Amino acid sequence: MLTQSTDFHLPDDIEPTEIIAGITAVVPTIPEASQSITLCYYDTFDWRLYRNALVLTGQHNEYSLRELDTAVTIAQEICQTPPVFADDFPAGALRERVAPILGVRALLEMACAEVTRTTYPLLNEDEKTVARLVVEEIRPSPDTTPLITLHLHSLRGYDQEAQTISQRLRDAGLSPGAETDIYRQIMAAAGKTPGGYTPKPPVPLTPEMRADEAAKQILRAQLKVIRSNEPYIAQDIDTEFLHDFRVAIRRTRSALTQIKGVFPADITARFKQDLATVGKMTNQLRDLDVYLLDEARYRALLPENLAADIGPLFAYLQQKRTAVLADVVAHLHGPQYRQIMADWEAFLNEPAPKNPTAPHAARPIIQVARKRIFKRYRQIVAEGREILENTEDHLLHALRIDCKKLRYLLEFFTPLFPPEEIAYLIKQLKQLQTNLGDFNDLCVQEDYLLHVADELPLADQQSRHTLMAIGGLVAILHQERLRVKAEFAQTFAAFTAPANSQLFEELFASGKRKGA
Amino acid sequence: MKTIALYSSKGGVGKTAAAVNLSYLAAQSGYKTLICDLDSQGSATYYFRIKPRLKKKAQGFSQAGRPIERSIKATDYAHLDLLPADFTHRNLDIAFLEAKQPTEQLRRILAPLSAEYDLIFLDCPPTFNILAENIFQAADMLLVPLIPTTLSVRTYVQLRAFLQQNGYDTEAVTTFFSLVDGRKKMHRELATAVYRQFDHVCKTPIPYRSQIEKMGLYRAPVSVFAPHSVAAQAYQSLWQEIQGALETRLEKQATSQN
Repeated sequence: MLTQSTDFHLPDDIEPTEIIAGITAVVPTIPEASQSITLCYYDTFDWRLYRNALVLTGQHNEYSLRELDTAVTIAQEICQTPPVFADDFPAGALRERVAPILGVRALLEMACAEVTRTTYPLLNEDEKTVARLVVEEIRPSPDTTPLITLHLHSLRGYDQEAQTISQRLRDAGLSPGAETDIYRQIMAAAGKTPGGYTPKPPVPLTPEMRADEAAKQILRAQLKVIRSNEPYIAQDIDTEFLHDFRVAIRRTRSALTQIKGVFPADITARFKQDLATVGKMTNQLRDLDVYLLDEARYRALLPENLAADIGPLFAYLQQKRTAVLADVVAHLHGPQYRQIMADWEAFLNEPAPKNPTAPHAARPIIQVARKRIFKRYRQIVAEGREILENTEDHLLHALRIDCKKLRYLLEFFTPLFPPEEIAYLIKQLKQLQTNLGDFNDLCVQEDYLLHVADELPLADQQSRHTLMAIGGLVAILHQERLRVKAEFAQTFAAFTAPANSQLFEELFASGKRKGA
Repeated sequence: MKTIALYSSKGGVGKTAAAVNLSYLAAQSGYKTLICDLDSQGSATYYFRIKPRLKKKAQGFSQAGRPIERSIKATDYAHLDLLPADFTHRNLDIAFLEAKQPTEQLRRILAPLSAEYDLIFLDCPPTFNILAENIFQAADMLLVPLIPTTLSVRTYVQLRAFLQQNGYDTEAVTTFFSLVDGRKKMHRELATAVYRQFDHVCKTPIPYRSQIEKMGLYRAPVSVFAPHSVAAQAYQSLWQEIQGALETRLEKQATSQN
């Protein structure tokens, strides 16, 4: 069904009319009337398509997914309403390809351009179209000179004809090429930097950097993430703006706590307190987001005849979320939050003092990093061993928190160590974190479901069914939780395997291995 | 994927014209559509200006197992492809008879196309033998053009009886009036009788019009060269009825699956 398309760059000294005249002297054509359309480029806020070298464009209701570097069309789809999430595309190749990449993120219109398109159907002796030559003039903005490209669309079953024409175009001095340049120019005209936002911005640390300077760099990168997401939370486009915002707040707090003795103690204490307040005000909203995102999973857990009865629970959570979101938005626009963030930003932008009073401020960051990471690792090993003796829920929770702290430290300080080894250790840690995270989620969900049953405002009969469904879920989640808990020992053993301990030792304790 | 077969055991009733125009309109509505020219005369293939030959290596219908995808050709219209007619179709009956499950061959051959197409139109030759049974097996909708004459109606009654006796779903049979001459009293009377007697009769008749005959001259669907003609409007309205019936069936299927 799909037409393959080859794009040709037009050298500056060749006019498209010359090329067309050359081709149509040999192959007859009846050109179609030129069309002007608005072509829009879509991606998620964190550029997931771009990062996977994909380009999604839309014109009217037609959406097309191409490879960025080769301009090869992967899939096309018609959507009557503009798609926001992957599920909004009809089932098919396009959705299949983008769904795992987009995840829960929404598509945003990143840039639009005016395109004038003239199609030349190339005909055979039966006047059947065997290929189409399309001349496109793209204007990224009204005052720029148009970028001209030539597209040769081949038709299924007529590959040979297209190849012959493609060869003629090459002979005429055109080179097949990517549309990367056009993509970049359109993005630039719209003031967008592809890949510009990432929730984990790289921080260029060097081992000898002063610890307080390095800490500020790490914190400034987090602040940028907070500021980038902040305005979108109110717009309620997808759940990840809030999520990235919260993670950046949490990382900030974690860095303040863990990179000890680099700032004056009173300042550290004040901002730890302030940022905890900011984090707390969004807790409930994130919890609700998580339940609502998991709706399909919950339904699938229940037996068929109960699955529909869980509906009122989600209707209730949705309603509650609307109110909670309004509260969060009010907070974000309120004087307290604005003051906290303004003060924090001002502090991060102050130059580091010449003679710092904080004990570790002037030490090289590599020393601080090694010490903190190794200490955290040893603590985790000790805690884990205690859990193996005595598997209590609260100990698992404490270990989860400490693993998160270690993860953040490894990520903050990645540039100081050999990248492959750090990536390997993060991967190892991630497996343990998944186990602990799943356990925690199941505990929280079980508790919440038991508690939310009291809040549901329902008519009697319906509520009885819904309560049954909730009860069913609680039982299933509890079983799952026991299963996850039983897997802890094995997961922990894998993380503390001799090879991993040795690597931690070498990289962070003995300093046997050089930094990156 | 849904398969719609334009079928009649009689020739010259407007099967090909309907298959060409309806498949074009389906594609225009956004359905990824394939029209299979099963008729060795290759009229549908001719209307789309495509040469009537399957690739030598992929004589899909007569040589089981070989992919027919490779013989598919794009038409000049978006979302519409065509599987060209082939002179080997004349031997389809024999090929099918030699197979293990002789009536399920066509369905098997078409099955791999379901990933690519939403709709397949079969333009069938006038036949009432093993190929016909293959068509009955493969089609989700058997769309029968009916000229309002006594003989045509009699053939239609025979077809329904045959389907019923052989355990086919008569609910899959939909009919529409073709080559209707509104000036003929007999056409009007017979039409009224058919509407009274049978279910799944489309409200839109396709009139006898010279525009439809001109498809051979323009080699294109009526809606392309005469978009405002009575014939084009009739096909458009017939397509809307068929689309409605398809969507209803899809919904029914979805609810019965849940």
